Amino acid sequence: MRNHAVTYLATLLVALGLVACGKGTDQPATGSDGSALKVYRHSMDGAPTNLDPVHSATIYANFLVLNTYDTLYSYKYLTRPYALKPNLAAAMPEVSQDGLTYTIRIKPGVRFVDDSAFANGQGRELVASDVAYSLKRHFDPSNRSQGSWLWAGRIKGLDAWGENGADYSQDVEGLEVIDKHTLAIHLTKPYPQLTYTLAVGFSAVVPHEAVTKYGRELSIRPVGSGPFRMAKFDTAKAVLEANPHFRQEPIDLAAEGFDPAVHGGLGLEAIEGRSPPFIDRLEIDFILETAARWNSFTKGNEIQFTSVPVEQTDTVLDSRDPIELKPDWTERYHSTTGVEAGFVFTSLNMDKPYLGHNDDPQQDARNRELRCAMRDAMDWTARNNRFYSGIGVVFPGIVPPAASDLHSKLSQDSVSRNLERARARLKKAGWTQDNLPTLEYGFQNSVTSRQLFEQFRGFMADIGYPSSKIKPVSFATFGDYNKAIKTSQLDVIPMGWGLDYPDSENTLQLFYGPNHTPGSNNSNYSNPAFDALFEKTAVMQPGPEREELYLDMSQMVVDDCVTISGLSRNRIYLWHKDVIGLPDREILGGFWLRYVDIKSADDQTTPAS
Amino acid sequence: MLQYTLKKLLAGLPLILGVTFISFVLMVYFGPDKTYELAGKNPTEEQIAQIRADLGYDQPFFKRYTNYVIELATLNFGHSDSTGERVTRLLGRTIPISLALTLPGFVLGNVIGILLALLAAYYRSTWIDKSIMTFAVVGMSVSFLIIIIGFQVMFSSAYGLNMFPVRGWSMDTLGEYLYYVTVPTLAIVFVSLGYNTRFYRAVIVEELGKDHIRTARAYGASARSILLKRVLKNSMIPIITRIMFSIPLVVISGSLLIESYFGIPGVGKVTYDAITTGDQPVLKAVVGATAVLFVVVLIVTDVLYRLFDPRVELK
Repeated sequence: MRNHAVTYLATLLVALGLVACGKGTDQPATGSDGSALKVYRHSMDGAPTNLDPVHSATIYANFLVLNTYDTLYSYKYLTRPYALKPNLAAAMPEVSQDGLTYTIRIKPGVRFVDDSAFANGQGRELVASDVAYSLKRHFDPSNRSQGSWLWAGRIKGLDAWGENGADYSQDVEGLEVIDKHTLAIHLTKPYPQLTYTLAVGFSAVVPHEAVTKYGRELSIRPVGSGPFRMAKFDTAKAVLEANPHFRQEPIDLAAEGFDPAVHGGLGLEAIEGRSPPFIDRLEIDFILETAARWNSFTKGNEIQFTSVPVEQTDTVLDSRDPIELKPDWTERYHSTTGVEAGFVFTSLNMDKPYLGHNDDPQQDARNRELRCAMRDAMDWTARNNRFYSGIGVVFPGIVPPAASDLHSKLSQDSVSRNLERARARLKKAGWTQDNLPTLEYGFQNSVTSRQLFEQFRGFMADIGYPSSKIKPVSFATFGDYNKAIKTSQLDVIPMGWGLDYPDSENTLQLFYGPNHTPGSNNSNYSNPAFDALFEKTAVMQPGPEREELYLDMSQMVVDDCVTISGLSRNRIYLWHKDVIGLPDREILGGFWLRYVDIKSADDQTTPAS
Repeated sequence: MLQYTLKKLLAGLPLILGVTFISFVLMVYFGPDKTYELAGKNPTEEQIAQIRADLGYDQPFFKRYTNYVIELATLNFGHSDSTGERVTRLLGRTIPISLALTLPGFVLGNVIGILLALLAAYYRSTWIDKSIMTFAVVGMSVSFLIIIIGFQVMFSSAYGLNMFPVRGWSMDTLGEYLYYVTVPTLAIVFVSLGYNTRFYRAVIVEELGKDHIRTARAYGASARSILLKRVLKNSMIPIITRIMFSIPLVVISGSLLIESYFGIPGVGKVTYDAITTGDQPVLKAVVGATAVLFVVVLIVTDVLYRLFDPRVELK
């Protein structure tokens, strides 16, 4: 009897093992007709939580929003610096002479995906009033938009419409629907960045039927007109399927910025003349744990894209400058590097009378010397080597390289460590170990944040700043950290900023006085001269004159030692050889996924000519 | 028994209210403030005030707690502040996944733990006992995180056997389920075995030293008969207690680390995210469900006590 039981148990275990291992083989996904599906498995190091365009504030949310919804404009796939192109719009906007009216024509025949939100379950045509409706939603207080600041005070009547009850049946003067396919946006003052704002996820076009049907759950059920439709979305993964009704727009690689010298070898020629999307299914895994992401990528039959974790840099790289991969990695994977469209910096709170602005001119001057001494103590090279694999780009000023080359016109002085000068500044201003103020350095609790703090405190100790006078204030969540910043509680504020669009204005506004906390000016910098120039440039079209003024503004922030800036992180991306594409998580962001293709098995075995 | 169950349920109400009250105090006064996570990059004072009002932060504490009790009674917790998904739908979607993920490991961990404990206790102080206990101490000492990463490398990665997936989840077919659940289960079993074996061994060793076991041995009862019919049956009270009180955690908490590393969309990750971001609608539902489950477990445990030990009376 006992022997029988053991036999049964053993048989069962073997059977289960066989079933499991049988499934474990790399079986290609197939469609309903049995044909092999083209599936691309992407990975991201964070997870989106809310896919309603009014909440698409993160890179992660944008990757999904930009693929399930449409925006009026997008970016050329391969052109750098980034350049806008029409997406849902038929052409670039017609801008009136005074810069106050943007007339935008929308491509006819664009359809929302089929969804039960629509009558008969069939997606209807996207029209100009949908664009107006989607922009209005940002000013409806019940939506708690995170993107309304992009248009606040810019579009005639839009703010007032929200303040007066957000009645969607009422027209807004600044959003004039001329006809079914034409929208005119009337501005209160010129806003040269408007077109950029119509290429971000916040501006994605939503059908009112979906809002009515799903309400707050639109956040997990995108209903758009993008190249993909959402099939599944949870905390671990999103599965998107190709939108069969997506408009036919054959790729013109030359117009997208294809350069054989730069992009040759990636197989991009294969998409020339074809209409995206090229894959049947797009799967995006949200993997925060670097070890799991790395194992999944190198396994071979799971995710096909990853950024290289800092701890794997030495495994992969042959050289850091220039960045070169070891030959075996080059042979196995495609790779690229990308300097982020953003930067990390450490702001000093100008609201604090012992560190920032002070009504007493003498104390004000002493405070400036203190801030400048702290900046002189910062060792960007050590920080880059320790935390960013030594491949980050250190630059002077507050405009990162991805936005402009302004940094090249500024002195390297503000990013060069100079302990002697720092000590001299402190001495000259009468700062001693006894009278130096105690500063609170805030961060969201993590091992890396704590290490960054300790390194910062070490730098300051090198100029005689007592370690006991730089105190860590850690917060369990980003929300709590952000609260401390927005209520001006902290003295030293390490931050990262990702550009919403490739225009220097997007970082200069971080130092504009009226944007003080709870706005984006976390350092609470207030300089009438800076503010005047900001207001002047805010209505200027791009050009050398505006660049010159931008340079002046950057110099002001540098001269006032408001912030210790900056470094743009550089990431190394790897993707499998069977994937045709050029990844970008910065300004182009989620737009690139519509161009991804997968080589068929035959293509992979064909030797390169 | 029905009368007993109803009485226990009524008696459980103060417990539920107490647990939810204490949890709510912690959430409100010590939990994260969600406002500034929802505020975006460039909010105005008015927008912040609007968000606070939407979240109910501007209401008096007792009004908020009363609302919570009403939500608990009606099972209507509204929408998650983070994802916007209806909370009941969110939990209904993720709890079965966590259950399917942790249940095999939970069952195997306890069954194997009891068997090893029986073996170790029976052969007390021999090399068998020492080997099992050494294994148990190793299981208890190594970090769960290290075990997960180690098992992933060993069973799932290109550096190891590469037989199972690093990430993913599906229960569409039995084959897929086994494919995805095997390595997480092995990790759970490995860790739980350490704790379980040590605990159960202590209980069984005590039972083995009792007079009735000595008498049975003197009568020539077989080892199998002594262990399974006498020792195990008489040790069931502490075993049931341990197993039953683990159930709410298995059902509600899932396993955060397992879910994160293996990309499994269970309730553990949802709960962790809710705690760290201050997503109160989700937290309120999880705390409430856990409290209710504990009351149910208390009742079921008492009934099981009665089944295994007729001396226990349900009054």
